[in-house]
Amino acid sequence: MIKVALAGNPNVGKSVIFNALTGMRQKIGNWPGVTVEKKEGVCKYKDVEFHIVDLPGIYGFTAHSIDEKIARDYILKEKPDVVVNVVDASNIERNLYLTMQLIEMEANIVIALNKMDLAEQRGYKIDVRKLSRELGVPVTPTVAVRGEGIEELKSAILQASKTKRKPSIRYSDGIERYISLVESKVIENSILPDCPLRFVAIKLLELDNEIMKEAKVGKEVIEKWISLVS
Amino acid sequence: MKLSELREGESGVVVEVRGDSEVRRKLLDMGIVKGAEIKMVRNAPLKDPVEFELKGYYLSLRRKEAENVIVE
Repeated sequence: MIKVALAGNPNVGKSVIFNALTGMRQKIGNWPGVTVEKKEGVCKYKDVEFHIVDLPGIYGFTAHSIDEKIARDYILKEKPDVVVNVVDASNIERNLYLTMQLIEMEANIVIALNKMDLAEQRGYKIDVRKLSRELGVPVTPTVAVRGEGIEELKSAILQASKTKRKPSIRYSDGIERYISLVESKVIENSILPDCPLRFVAIKLLELDNEIMKEAKVGKEVIEKWISLVS
Repeated sequence: MKLSELREGESGVVVEVRGDSEVRRKLLDMGIVKGAEIKMVRNAPLKDPVEFELKGYYLSLRRKEAENVIVE
C-alpha cells in the first residue's frame, strides 16, 4: 500500500483529480478535532493500492490558518510516500510557490500540471520536460475534467514511490550562509530531530511562529545566532 | 501609493509589502510579490473588500490588508 496526499492551491482542480483517481471508493469525515473536511479514498493501479488523502487547498505552509496547519502536519508527521502537488498550469507562477515549499519540506512530490487546456487557451507554452528537470521532480500534464493524463499520473505516483528523490533549492550564497549556520545550531541543540533539517532551519530564519513554538526557540535566540554571520 | 488607493481600472507594480509578519506572509503567499503587476477591478458595495487582478487571476482583499501593499 502506498500513502498518497494531494496538495495544492485552492481551485486548482484537486478534488477533480481526487475523484478521478478514487472513483466511488471515498470516505468523507473530519480532521481530528476540527471541522475541516477530510476526504480519503483508495485507488488500485497495477495491483498496488494507493491510499489517497485530499489535503485542504492552501497557498503556503506558514500554518496561520487551520487548513495550512493540517496540511503541514500531515506532510511532516504522517510522511506520505508520495505527495501529488496539483498545479494550475494557467496560474503557474503563483502555484509553484507552494511547490518550492513542498520541496523544502522534503516531500516526495509528483506534479500534476492541471488545466493544461486553459493554459493553452491563454497562449502559454509550457516546456514540461524542462520544468521537470529544473525542479528535479516528475511532472505529468493533465486535464482532469476530461480525465486526460490520469493514467499517466497513476504511473508517475507508482514510479515515485519506488524512487525517493531529494531535490533541493539553492538560494544565493548570502542566504545559504545563514541557512548553514542555523542548521548547525539546530543539530547542536537537537531541535525537532524528526523534521527535515533544512526546512526547520529555513522556517526558523523566517521567524515562523509555529515552528519557533514547536522548537521552543525564541526570536532573540535566532537573532543572536545569525549575528554570528558576517 | 498604497494598493488600496488605486481606482477602478487603474493598475500598478508592487514595490513593497509591509505589515506584521503574518499579514505580509499571507500576501506574499497569494502572489503579491515585488514586481508583480496588479490591477484594481472593482469595489464591493461598501467599498470593502476590493477585487484585484494579477498574473491572470482575481483576488479579493480587505481594504485594511491592501493598505500594506505599496505600488507604483
